[in-house]
This record gives sequence, C-alpha cells and structure tokens, in this order.
Amino acid sequence: MSPTDCEHVLKQIELYLDGELVASMRVEIEQHLGGCDPCSGHAAFQGRLKELLRSKCGCDQVPPELVDRLRTLLDPPHAHPF
Amino acid sequence: MVARSPVAPPDDPALRERFEREVLPLLPNLYGAALRMTRNPQDAEDLVQETYLRAYRGFSGFREGTNLRAWVYRILTNTFINSYRKKQREPVTVPDDDTSDWYLYDKLGASNVEASAESEVLEKIPDEDVQRALEDLPEGFRMAVLLADIEGFSYKEIAEIMDVPIGTVMSRLHRGRKALQKALWETVRERGLVTD
Repeated sequence: MSPTDCEHVLKQIELYLDGELVASMRVEIEQHLGGCDPCSGHAAFQGRLKELLRSKCGCDQVPPELVDRLRTLLDPPHAHPF
Repeated sequence: MVARSPVAPPDDPALRERFEREVLPLLPNLYGAALRMTRNPQDAEDLVQETYLRAYRGFSGFREGTNLRAWVYRILTNTFINSYRKKQREPVTVPDDDTSDWYLYDKLGASNVEASAESEVLEKIPDEDVQRALEDLPEGFRMAVLLADIEGFSYKEIAEIMDVPIGTVMSRLHRGRKALQKALWETVRERGLVTD
C-alpha cells in the first residue's frame, strides 16, 4: 500500500461516510480499507463520531405541552355558527 | 423565505389525514433540531409550533414527488433564520482551517488510550457535552452538521434546505466537524476520560 494511496483514500473518507461518492469510487475506497488497517481505523473512528452525534443529540423528549399545542392548532374545533 | 400562504389549513380531509400521517411523526426530530438551533427549550417549542403552522398552511400547495422531509426542514430553517436568529448571541469564533481532519483521533491516539479503544472513549462523553459542543458551533456550521449527521440528509438536500451551493455545504461540514472534534477533545480532557 503506497502512502499516496492512503493519502488519497483518507481525503475521501468524509465523502465516503456521508454516502456521497459515486459507486466506482466507493468500491475503490472499500477495497483499500479492506486491506489497510491504519486507513480502516481512521474510517471506523470517523464513522463512530458521526453515530455519536446521532445517538447523543437525537433523543430529546418532546414536551407533552407542545404535543397538546400542536393538536389544538392542527385540529381546531370546527365551530359552525350557523 | 417561506411566504405565509393565504390559504387556510387544508379543508380536504384526505390532505389533513396525509399531514397527520406524514408530517406529525417528524415531531421528535424537528423538536431536537429546533433545540440545537435555538439552544433554548421555550424558543424550540415556539419554533416547532410556527413551523407546523406554516407547513399546514402551505400543505395544500405541496407538490407530489417533492421531498416532504426536506420541505418541512426548509420551513423550519427559514422560520428559525427569520424569526429567532436575531435574538441569538452568535459565537464569534469561526473554526480555523489549520486543524487536522483527524484531530480527535490523533489526540486520543497520542494519549494513554489503549489501542483501538478510541471509539470507546467517545461513548463515555455525556450526552449534554456532545449537545453543547454542537450548539456552540457557529450557526451555518451547526446547521450543516445537524442536517447531515443527525437528520441524515444528503449534501444536495442540505443545499436546498439551507439555500446555499453544495460546495458551501461541504466546506461547512468539513470545518464544522473539525471544530466539533476540538470541542470534544476539550470535554474528554476536562472529564478526565484520558490521562495525558
């Protein structure tokens, strides 16, 4: 594995983890990661970092008052004054 | 900016039913996103309520085949920018670009973390610290990271939601994530999760 390969791959890791690479490039990166421990270590860590945000920032409890407010807002009593 | 539609909430029962089926379930995520944007529970509630109101009013004009989630997040983002941002105190620090892409990984590797245990250190960081690190990012960076990593939107969708070119999305994500790594490293040290 030449250092140039690793440098090239590490530059693409962000796009790779974001699912933004075209298929041919994705395959190329995956092949490299499969045979390169340092690069796959970097990629795995960066992937965990992404997951960390999702797991630690995505669990806020919606206040019940807000649910009530929205229900009232979206389902107003249809007063028919006639 | 999303114009307020003069159209009243959809009278069509089918449309109302669809709104309840497809837009209401977005509430937990929208509320979380609103919290990260406003950094304040009361403002987050108001922002979500205003977003639902605008989405409901505009729903009859929503075109089939359009990305519904991205459409709702665009309303959220615009509502935030137009109504709440002015109240906020913006952090003045802009992430510097000299930081290594692998800042946190390198720092953990250089400390007394056992080999391949770097990821485990991440799990020990309290939720509030991760949330604060994200909330401390300047707005444009915070929104890009939030939309990509928490909400899972593609670059193209984020560009549409934030109304910026894709290149700007990429640059904000890249720099925002580096700033986040620095903030998380500070937390790791302050919490004593590693020994220098």
